[in-house]
Amino acid sequence: MTRAKGERSLSGWAFLAPYAVAVVLLIAVPALLNVGYAFTDHTGLTRDPQFVGLDNVRRLADDAFLADSLEASLFHVALSVPLRLLAAVGLGLLLAAPRPGGRWFRTAVYLPTVVPDVALAVLFLWVLNPLYGPLNQLLGLFGHPGYTWLSDPTTARVGVVLMLLFPIGEGFVVVLAARRLLDGRLYEAAALEGCGPFGQLRRITLPLLAPVLVLLAVRDTILTLQVNFVPAYVLTDGRPANATLYLPVYIFDQAFEFSGFAYAALITILLMLITAAIIAVQLLAVRRWRVLR
Amino acid sequence: MTDGGGLRLTGLVKAYGPVRAVEGVDLDVPAGELVTVVGPSGSGKSTMLRLIAGLERPDAGMVAVGGQDLRDVPPHRRSVAMVFQDYALYPHLTVRENIMFGLRVRKVPKGEARRQAGAAAERLGIADLLDRYPDQASGGQRQRVALARALVRSPAVYLLDEPLVSLDAQLRLSTRADLLALHRQIGSTTLHVTHDQAEAMTMGDRVVVMDAGRIRQAGPPQEVYDAPADTFVAGFLGSPPMNLVPGGGVLGGAAGGTVGVRPEDLALDPAGPIEATVDAVETLGSEAVLLTRCPDGLRLAVRTPPRLSLRPGDTVRLRFDPDRLHRFDAAGRRV
Repeated sequence: MTRAKGERSLSGWAFLAPYAVAVVLLIAVPALLNVGYAFTDHTGLTRDPQFVGLDNVRRLADDAFLADSLEASLFHVALSVPLRLLAAVGLGLLLAAPRPGGRWFRTAVYLPTVVPDVALAVLFLWVLNPLYGPLNQLLGLFGHPGYTWLSDPTTARVGVVLMLLFPIGEGFVVVLAARRLLDGRLYEAAALEGCGPFGQLRRITLPLLAPVLVLLAVRDTILTLQVNFVPAYVLTDGRPANATLYLPVYIFDQAFEFSGFAYAALITILLMLITAAIIAVQLLAVRRWRVLR
Repeated sequence: MTDGGGLRLTGLVKAYGPVRAVEGVDLDVPAGELVTVVGPSGSGKSTMLRLIAGLERPDAGMVAVGGQDLRDVPPHRRSVAMVFQDYALYPHLTVRENIMFGLRVRKVPKGEARRQAGAAAERLGIADLLDRYPDQASGGQRQRVALARALVRSPAVYLLDEPLVSLDAQLRLSTRADLLALHRQIGSTTLHVTHDQAEAMTMGDRVVVMDAGRIRQAGPPQEVYDAPADTFVAGFLGSPPMNLVPGGGVLGGAAGGTVGVRPEDLALDPAGPIEATVDAVETLGSEAVLLTRCPDGLRLAVRTPPRLSLRPGDTVRLRFDPDRLHRFDAAGRRV
């Protein structure tokens, strides 16, 4: 009995091993090294980096680029997370019910998620082109002169958010699945009470989906602080006027363009702390909801 | 008689694609009557309730409550409340909020809604559960919450869709009594759907037997039991069901038709005309049921006193009361 148990747990560890080894080698060790490098003068090429105490931390305080970068990232999260969530939830709920052609719409919503970031970004270079891009032409139909999207700081940020509004397939699928798990009788009972579609959304669907929505918000915050790297690089390269110099872009620039590897390591830690802080605020805000117990 | 809150169904038809769920149902339930609707799964009982509640639109026919045609009346404007089989309580709301839900949707002020919810809960003996969530209540308590939710609407007609099916046997018995008491108190028109014939027989002023979307028979329980309108009703009501003998056989000839006899109308008698072998003995404590087989392969169930010490394989002779035979024609209708 004990022996069989021992063998079983042994085989469990054996199955876990490949993943565990990879996590340790590719994530845990580099993360620890990253913390160590953050307090050295490592340039990325230094053979023997020296410990420099809090020098890098002091540098954070009066780094004007970092201030721009922080602002760009926070602007992006504040606009992108709610809009992406709204799109995923809205489309998920609209397309959850079986209806003719539904599967084509669902596929269409998921499709941009399959497209590689770089390809989508190149596509958006065309979409946002001020002279022949479809977006400005569309605005033109309504008599609007259009924007010089990527050369104005604000519209450049909005352009990146617009692009990232499309790859929302994962959140969409989660909402779709969660909605389909809700008991149809709850809606019939509500209909009998005179609760219309909007009331059902407010009184039943959203409260019951709340745990899923919180999860998606947390996940999207983590994701959004990082995935804007590719669009920013392809669309704007951090410009104009550092408007899209998001933290991942700045970290990359510091580490591999300006030979500031140690400093970049420190900003990485900062990015992680900011992510954690935003998530903490989100969880505190929804703490009173019963569904999260 | 003016049927203040009576229910009338006329020629009700509902099909889902090729499946005809309800096929021409006519039913008249006077105000204050409790009618049980019984039938096998898929007989159209639940669809009928959904048509009355307004969750489905009939393909043809009419639903009227208190003489008013409900064709174009949306569900929430019908004076009809429905209790679902699995109660359909909102898991994210407390018992109180569940009961108040409909009142709040109808813009009843919060204080008044709370008062009414409290009163309904008091009435059903769940006042101490008001601040709990449905998953913190037992099956029987949840069932009462669902009833309270119907109660606060003070509807003319209550529709109960298998309200006892999720309860264990003992609780089912006591809840059955409670439901009856409540019905007597409120005096509302009630349609109680069940597939449990004991429930149907004991609770209803009248019992409606449905099969394949049609009403096979409607009437007082004893009457339906004593004089089933067709072989379906004869075979459906009663446990064990009526013995049906095509052609009459040992029960006496019936050219082309069927003759039936209830297990309690057969008796052991050494001089009886029917010879049979005991297949099995089902002991129920206060009585026993013999499952027997005649030489020609016909199976007959016989209700007997307990403790007869008969064993499978024993040969017995049976007698029947000719006045208690049921005769049906070739189409299965009572003659």
